[in-house]
Amino acid sequence: MDPMEVFKIEVTGQEEFGAKKYRELIMDILQGLGLIRSIGRLYVYVDILKPYFAVYGLLRSGIPPLTVKDVGDVMKVQGGYQIKINDEEHMADLLRVLGERYGRERVEQPARDIVIIASDTSPSELMVADLEAEFLQDLTDALVRVAPEGFRNRRNIMTKDSFFFIAAEESLTPEMVSEIEGKIREMENA
Amino acid sequence: MLEPVMFTGGLYKHDLVVELVEDLGGYVLQKNVTQTEIILLILVPTEDMGLLQALAKELRGELVRAPLAGTEVAVVTPTLAIHHLPHSACDIAEYLRRHGSKTNMLGLARGVGREIAQINEYETALINEHDAAVFIFGNFQECIKKKESLYRNITVPVVVTGGPEIEAKDLPYAFEYVSTVGRMAHRARKATEIGSLDRIVESVGRALDKTRSSIAKDPLTTSPPRVMDSVREQVPDVEFSYSPLPIALNLTGVRVKLPYDAYKDAVKDVTFDEGVSLGEIATIKPSRMKDYILVRILSASETGFVF
Repeated sequence: MDPMEVFKIEVTGQEEFGAKKYRELIMDILQGLGLIRSIGRLYVYVDILKPYFAVYGLLRSGIPPLTVKDVGDVMKVQGGYQIKINDEEHMADLLRVLGERYGRERVEQPARDIVIIASDTSPSELMVADLEAEFLQDLTDALVRVAPEGFRNRRNIMTKDSFFFIAAEESLTPEMVSEIEGKIREMENA
Repeated sequence: MLEPVMFTGGLYKHDLVVELVEDLGGYVLQKNVTQTEIILLILVPTEDMGLLQALAKELRGELVRAPLAGTEVAVVTPTLAIHHLPHSACDIAEYLRRHGSKTNMLGLARGVGREIAQINEYETALINEHDAAVFIFGNFQECIKKKESLYRNITVPVVVTGGPEIEAKDLPYAFEYVSTVGRMAHRARKATEIGSLDRIVESVGRALDKTRSSIAKDPLTTSPPRVMDSVREQVPDVEFSYSPLPIALNLTGVRVKLPYDAYKDAVKDVTFDEGVSLGEIATIKPSRMKDYILVRILSASETGFVF
């Protein structure tokens, strides 16, 4: 079962096998990069004779930025605040952010999962990582991986809730872009 | 007739296998030691197979036929980028190795795309040094048909792999076409995927048999394993080569992995018991692979004798 609400793929000519395989390939790559749950709808249109490759996707609701309280428990202790880290994945980002905010001499790490800050201001709301920006970077990487390698003329339009990626062997012309937009719209309305 | 087999067993007492093979007049083509395990690629006279099987059983080792032993196969992908590697290409290369072949992976510099794919003279010549080539293409039949230009000038048999079903008449320059492989982003683990790998091995086997039968019409002056043995004996520096397989066997000769300029004369001067030198019965030329030495044994019609 697809984790996406809609996943349509259309390839011109007698390429049913290619369409089926690309479906598997896209799923594998999106799953590998952990992106699949953030994409709601996906439309892929491939014209192998022109040739070009286009993907249009609608994203699920925005991802809030990761704050200090999301990665650990913040407690007031004598002379400052203590953070007990629960999620080590963003440890490097956390230490960098705390260092920038409070100064490195005020940030101490007595144990692997404990960070103590010598300050009266709580670090709870400090932003550790902008997950949305990371997601968009990963998504661009995934789209480049999905598209056939020879299709090196690319255009990627990303908005807050959608993305539109085109890759072609030849230079992209405005006519080609509007033709692809029309095809994707047809797929959406079908 | 020599039978190609692969012995897998413990390192302990493997010398007995090597000794037996040498006593029987066979050859050890390759020796791979992995911690306490050893894999030996062996050529052994067919009539003496029973002796080797008995010894393998006694040593609790495994002896299987390796139909591709003593051959070198190029696994060619359009490039070495993430789009083509590691999955299908590495799976195919690994599978060919398990059947005894020496496999080289080759990514073309500009092999990508449908209209823009190309191969240069150097790449073609390098592939032609192998006994067969496997070209790995993608999932769209239009692209696979169009990319025929990549292997049109290759003289060794080319097995083409891809996703869709394509009739043989649509790919006249390919030796055979193996479908249901194509581009994928996961390792081959399903039974159907492993079946496709088996079909590639069978196809490469048929391609090599075709080359063998054409060699048999005008046999080589001597066999490549014998050349390998003599070079190993008389050019001892080859054992100090950093390559895991210092002498690679082909169906028509060997590739000695030593610098051409420094060692070409030593290789030329290798003499056999019959009194002839290698320089007289083979052409010694620089290989396209690094600066190795390529030895191509001349046929009986050129030298006038066989030993």
